This record gives sequence, C-alpha cells and structure tokens, in this order.
Amino acid sequence: MSRIRLSRWLLAIPMSLLALATIYPLLFTVNVAMKTRRDYILDRFSLTDTLRWDNISAAWNSVGMDRYFLNSLIVVTSSVVLLLLLGSMAGFALSQLRFRGSSALFLGCLAGLFVPFQVIMVPLARIMADTALIDTYPGLVLVFVAQFLPFTVFLMTSYYKTIPREVIDAARIDGNSVYGVYRRIMLPLGTPALLSVGILNALFCWNDVLMSLVMMPSADHRTLMVGVTSLRGQYSDDIPTFASGVLIAALPVLVVYLFLQRQIADGVAAGSTKG
Amino acid sequence: MRGGSRAERFAPYVLVAPAILIIVVLRLYPLLLGVNFSFTGDGERNGQTVGLDNYLELIDDPLFRTALGNVGLLVLLLPVAVAIPGLLATFIYLKVPGHRFYRSVYFFPAVLSPVIVGAIFNLLLAFDGPVNAVFGAVGISPVDWLGNPDVAMFVVVGVHIWATFGMALVVFLAGFATLDAALLDAARVDGASLPQVIRHVIVPGLSRTIAFVAVTTMVGMLTSMFGLLYVMTSGGPEGSTYLPEYYIWIQQGQMNRPALASAASTVLFVIMLVVGLLQVKLLRRAGGED
Amino acid sequence: MKQRALWSAVLVVGLATAGCGSASDTGSSSGGSTDKLVVWDWKSGEPSAAPYIEKAKADFATKHPDVTVEFVAQPFDQYYTLLGAAIQSGKGPDVMLFNGGGQIRDRVDALVPLDEYVAEDKQRLAGWDAFSKDGKVYASPVTLQGHPIYYNKALYEKAGLDPASPATTWDKFLADCAAIGKAGAKCFALGNKEGAGIQFWMSALGSGILTAQEYDDWIAGKRDWNSPNVKRIFELWKEAGDAGLNNEGANSTAMFNDSFALFQSGKAAHVIGLMSDVGHWKDFNEFLTPEKLGVMNAPVVTAGTTPSLAYDGGIGYGVAKWTKDPKVAADLVRSLTSTGALQAFYADAGAIAADTTIDVSQAGPAAATIVAALQSGKPALHVALSSKTLDLMGRVSQQLLSGSISVDEAVKQLAASDQAG
Repeated sequence: MSRIRLSRWLLAIPMSLLALATIYPLLFTVNVAMKTRRDYILDRFSLTDTLRWDNISAAWNSVGMDRYFLNSLIVVTSSVVLLLLLGSMAGFALSQLRFRGSSALFLGCLAGLFVPFQVIMVPLARIMADTALIDTYPGLVLVFVAQFLPFTVFLMTSYYKTIPREVIDAARIDGNSVYGVYRRIMLPLGTPALLSVGILNALFCWNDVLMSLVMMPSADHRTLMVGVTSLRGQYSDDIPTFASGVLIAALPVLVVYLFLQRQIADGVAAGSTKG
Repeated sequence: MRGGSRAERFAPYVLVAPAILIIVVLRLYPLLLGVNFSFTGDGERNGQTVGLDNYLELIDDPLFRTALGNVGLLVLLLPVAVAIPGLLATFIYLKVPGHRFYRSVYFFPAVLSPVIVGAIFNLLLAFDGPVNAVFGAVGISPVDWLGNPDVAMFVVVGVHIWATFGMALVVFLAGFATLDAALLDAARVDGASLPQVIRHVIVPGLSRTIAFVAVTTMVGMLTSMFGLLYVMTSGGPEGSTYLPEYYIWIQQGQMNRPALASAASTVLFVIMLVVGLLQVKLLRRAGGED
Repeated sequence: MKQRALWSAVLVVGLATAGCGSASDTGSSSGGSTDKLVVWDWKSGEPSAAPYIEKAKADFATKHPDVTVEFVAQPFDQYYTLLGAAIQSGKGPDVMLFNGGGQIRDRVDALVPLDEYVAEDKQRLAGWDAFSKDGKVYASPVTLQGHPIYYNKALYEKAGLDPASPATTWDKFLADCAAIGKAGAKCFALGNKEGAGIQFWMSALGSGILTAQEYDDWIAGKRDWNSPNVKRIFELWKEAGDAGLNNEGANSTAMFNDSFALFQSGKAAHVIGLMSDVGHWKDFNEFLTPEKLGVMNAPVVTAGTTPSLAYDGGIGYGVAKWTKDPKVAADLVRSLTSTGALQAFYADAGAIAADTTIDVSQAGPAAATIVAALQSGKPALHVALSSKTLDLMGRVSQQLLSGSISVDEAVKQLAASDQAG
C-alpha cells in the first residue's frame, strides 16, 4: 500500500513534465497567433509584446469561415450521432447475440478499418457523383460514417464483450425483446465507451481535410478545417494567420472534450464500482 | 416492443445490417474498383490493362522498398506507442496526484493540426534550435534531428506518438470502466507492487482494449502521418522517411501516376490487413480468451 | 429503435443499388454550365491576392455580365491530388491554375489548347513556353518565376567588400565568401529539406557553368550528362557544402521559408531566391530595406560563358476540356491575365507578372535589376527535367551534402532517370 503511494508521488514528476510538453504547443500557437508576420519571421519563440486580435479576425473573416463553421457543425454532429447509433447496434449484436455468420460479419467490419482512403478516393467520388450525393451534407455524412464505422463497431464490440451475459439473460427473463435490451441495458451501460468513441469520432471528422475536400467541392459547402488549411498557399509564410485559423478550429473540440471527459471519468467511476 | 420469435431471430441481422451495408457499399466495393484500377496503366497507357506492371514497378522502386522497410520499423515501434498511453491511463486511473489535470491536458496535442505540430517541432529541432542549444550547454554535440537519415524517422514517429497518445488515452480510460475494482483492491491489500498490479490485474483485464488500441494505433501510423511528414521532412532526408502513404501521395498528385498509386494503396491495404489480424490473434491469445 | 434501424437499412440499400449500377461510367459528363464558371487555384484564399481577383472578375463581368464566377481556393498540398481525381472522373472546375513545366505538361489531355483564343496576348505576356507542349499552348501565364541570386549589401559592407560590385568569377566569389565568413555570417542561406535547393542552385548558377551551346541543348532535351560542365554543377554543390559556405543543417532546413528567414534576418549574405510568390524582392525589401538588397549575376565558372537570368512562366490558368463553352472560359483566362489584374497582382502579392508592360519602377532597385535581366534571360535548367528526375535529384543532392554518395554516382543515377523518362 505505502509502496504504491510513494511510487504515485514519484510518477507525478514525469507526468507533470509531459503535461508541460502537451500544453506548450497550444501556448506557442496562441503566442504566434498574436504576432505579426514580421515578428514571427525575425523571432519565432519570443513572447509577443502586444495582444493583437487582428490575425484571429482576419482568419475568421477571410472567406466565409462562419459558413464553414456551420457546415462542420451540421456534418460532424450528424455523423457522430449516426456512428454511435449504428456502431452500438452492431457492437451489441456482434458481441452478445449468437447468430450465423457473426464472426464473418465482424471480420468484414474489421477489414473496412484497413482500407486507406487514398485507394478508394476516386471510385468513391464517382459513386457519390452518380448518386447525386456529392456536394451534399448527407453525402459527406455517409462518407464519414463509412470511414469511421469500422473503428466504432470494433470498439463497441470489444467493450460490450466485457458485459457479463447474465445481465442480458436477466433482462430477457424480465420480458425485454432484443431491441428492448439494446435500448434499456446496452445503451446505458455503454456510456463510457460511447462518450469516448464519440469524442474521437468528432475529432476525426472535425479535423478531416481530404474527404471533405473531395466530397464537398463547391466553395460554400466547405468545412472549417478545409477553410483553415486553404489559408496556406503554396509557399505561404503567414504562419500567424494560419495559427489563428487553427485555434479557431481547435477551440470547439477542446471545449467539447473538456466537458465530456468529466462524464467519461464519472462513467469510469460508475463502472468500476459495479463489480 | 415484444417481437415474435421470428422477429427475434432476425433481430441480430437487423442490428448489424446498416453498419455492414455502409461498410460494404462505401468501403469494400470502392476498394474492389480501386484494386481493379491498379491493373491499368497511366499516362499514354491510360485505361489499358497492363497486368502486374504497376506492381513490378513498385518492387523495382527503391523508394517504395524504403517505405515498406519503414512500415516494418513502425510495427516494431508499435508496442512503445501502445504502452505509453496505456501506462499513463493506468497512473491516471490509480489517481496519481494531479490526475484530473493530466487527463485534461494530455488531449491537447490531438486537437492541433499536424501542420502546426510539425511547424513547432521543426523549430524546436532545427540544427540551431533550442534542443541542440540545451545539448550544447551540457556538452553534447548537436544532432541534425531532421537532416540525418538514421535519426529522422524516429523523430517523426516520436512526434506522431506525442501528438496522438491523447486519443489512445481516451480509449484506455473507457476500458478501465470494465475493470473489476475488487480485484485491484485485493491486490493492494496483498501488498502487490505497481508493476505486479499492472502485470497481473490490469493487462489481463484490459486485453481487449489493448488489442483495440494496438490495431487502431497501427492504422493511424500507416494512414495519417502524411501531415507530419509533409511538414517535417517531405519524405527526406535522402528519402529515409518515406511511408507508403506519402509515396501514394507523391505518385498520385505530384507524378500524375494514379494507377501506380492505386497499386501502392493495394499493397498498403494487404499489409495492414495481415498485420492487423495477426495482432488481434496474438493479443487475444496472450489475453487467454476465445 | 426498430423503426429507426430499419429506416437506416432502407436508406443504405437504396444508396447501394443506386451506386452499383453506374460506378464505372465513361467520364464524359460535364461539371460546368454556361452561366457559371468554377475556378480552382491555391492563390485566391490569400488576402494579398484579393485585389487581383477583384480586378479580374470586374474585367470578365464587362464581357460576360450574365456569367457568374466562383473561385475555389484549394490547399496547395492536395491541389494536384484533387485535380487528378477531378480529371479521372471528368468532373471538375472549368478553369484551373497550374505551375509551369511538368505539372501542366503531364495533364494536357484534360485541357483545351488555347492558341486560337489568346493570340492577342502572345506579345504582351511572357513565359508561354512553360505552359506549352508539342507547339500548343494550354495556359496563359500569370507570373514569371525564376532564380535570381540576392545578396545583402549591409553584410558586404561589414565584410569590407564593395556592395556595388559583387564577384563576377567563381574564384573571386569564394574569396568574398571567406571575407563574409570572417565577418560572422554564412555565405549562402540554403534550405534543401524539400530537395529544392539543388534545383535553384542548378538554375541560378548553370548559365555560368554550361556553355551557351550546352545550355540550349539541355533545354531542347539533348542533355549530355557526361559533359564535364554538367558534372561541375554537382561538384560545386558538394564543394560549397564541404567548405561550410551554407548554413548548418541545410538538409533539415526548409527552403520555404526557413532559409529565406535566415537571409532576411542577416545570418547569411546570399540566397538563391524566387521572383514571385515568396522569397523574393518584396519580402527581402521589407526586411533588409530596398537600398541594402542587391541582385547579382551568376559568377563565371567556365571561362567564356555569359551568365543570364534563369526564368520561366510561373503559374498560369488553363481551361478544362469538359467545360461547356471553351470560348467563355478562355475569356475568363484572358481577364485573369489582363494588364489591370496583373498590375494588382504584382503590387499586392509581390510577383514579377507575366505582363512585360507593367511599370515596376516603384518596387526598388532589386526588382528593376530582375526585370532588366528578363530580356537576355533563358529558361531554367531544372524546369526542363521531369518530375521524377527532379524528385531523384532532390534526394541525391542531400546525399551529396551528407557525403554518402560521390558526384560520379549522383550524375550516373540522374542520367539514367532522365534518359528513361
């Protein structure tokens, strides 16, 4: 007991150093975003002497960032909701229900995880164009869902496998249908995993550039990250404006994470007391 | 909500169907088209069937061989990339002083664009940058972190791990929700040391999570290091940091060789499939299940 | 829940059947319509390009008031990947921006020859060769891109050199570098991380190394890799590195924009820069002041050579072959290269515009020197090489600097690559 307590305090030292190393880049980015391009080129590390918001507003006003922000919000929210719904349904079935072909179906999902987007980019763009889904919200949502669903199904399956079968059996004896078990048992019990995979999916979709670029070709359908990435030209050295764009894009994810990680922690605590 | 037995029997298929259909239609089917495309030619031979020519060209290309060699290196480094977030999550779970704070800030790098992360490390690791300045102050000769072909790949992988461990941490923390706290308490009462607790309680209890993180970390290393490579090394020095993903990008965009790029993507897919399934198998066996 | 699951399944099945039927179409369908033109580039997102786009749009509106124009700025790192996807599916922008040289020549199958539409511009604009293939023009040049050797006059003074008369021979240049080194600065700011340093080196110094005949043959495609002068280009590259003329860690220094920053902050006396976009007279004027920025000719390495400025067309707009009415799209290209628009591009974005009638006397002595040198300028040596050979040259140049390859071996590899493709 005391040995563990001592080692805990010893561990806090490297962990604090690592924490510094993870905070520094964010501070660096904030610092750079406040600088002028000239100050940045002459000295990248020095603290900015003025608090200039010009870069932030320039980045925001450049080309319809408010529109892009809304696009991202719509697409990412729908994608994450759909991913969680489909992922937990499939995860439940693949982990807890016995049916013919279940392991083959699981492998099929898993195979989807290993498909690099580059190889399917052109064929997929064509499928989307032929179904008139290209350049539409549902089109990009479907592409996102397809991209991150294997990951989601995989995680939900391995998470649900740890739930003892007796829990499900008891619920069945109480008169629940399979769908009832899913809704009343699996969804609530899956909260920590759903929140975690939700955060990660939100992050992946929010930060994606390539899929959004290919699937949303017209200017006013762009997502925020595409807009931010386009702030850099071929050789652009205007890093402060770009850093401002990155901050604008990073802020929502950060807020969502900081809010949700409390819930995850509570979920973990709840889960660990259940045994 | 009570369905008849017939509906009950079909219930699993109904639950799985949407996910399977989306994956098959929007991932596996296009993959088939892409693989098909890799057997056609580029440029003047556009649209013609060329058999295995693209694959033969790949084998011949020393750059692609370097890229494959680097994949091997990534697989070797994978245990490190999994162990770091795993250990950190364990310490946070064991409530190391300040664990709430760590849990919040360890995710920070993941929200920054790889372009910014790459730019920051470019500055820190420049030949006349702060890291070498510290080295100089303690009498170590400076290292050309991103200019030395023997070092650069490790540096880029290190930065990638640093930039993404926060995501794996989130998965590990969710995994701890499934851990039986009673086992942990029992181990503590028995006076087990921290390494013993990790080895005998946490690793077996989290084997599925570990398998999951291992597979997704590998997929991440093989398919999402483009941004860092582009900014930090451009595939250099001397081509030493080429990865298949970067090779595909060069061939597709810069060299206008989409069919050759498709062949390279197909190779990448097969490698990931094989390595990934092997991992799942190995880790399942190590965890003593199924 | 059940309904929702079923609903999703129905949606996906519907999608699947719709998708399977027509995934391998002929790719002939058009993305364009006559009342709207879509332009792809990587420039229009930058604030400094805004006045240029405005001018071009206004000019086009006087010719075709009923046609709307949409500019879509793409991230440059994915630009050619996206363009490739658009070309393969036959759906994409009507007008698109290209870098001159290999990038456009590799893709002329997707472009409309512009000769009949832009005949009137042929005289006014320069740089057409970089956008031509087999005698046909596929894009109109917007900027000229080339590789002047810039030097910092303040550092020359500090080193006791005469800033008004930079070295004209290689030996004198080495002596000057030694003096600059004593004064505490590096001779060259070199960024070779992307492998672009060698390209700039070859093109900036080549006219003082190759004889006029060798130079013209090289551009015409008759490249003699066994010539001692060609080998000399790479020997000098290696010697300069070995002699410590470059900043340290050149292989890990990005050309864009760390090497330029070294020059801008006075840590190196020379840099082989650009004429347009970035790393050019406008950037350097800003940091070194126009009075202290000089542009010099390449020092003579091989006796009897006459150094000249190496430049080509930089970026230019082309018309996709799937556009509905090529005439209208070509008119947009003409607006994008009109004198008024290019005047704005030169002034705000800092480019040597392709329009030779633009007055640059306000831009300082360096820009004036460059424009004066255009008359006798020649195409850049590296632009004549294929993308594949350039890629290889970047890697062997890094090996030359790190000493892991000999000059003979490097030239042999390059010759093989050049002759294969």
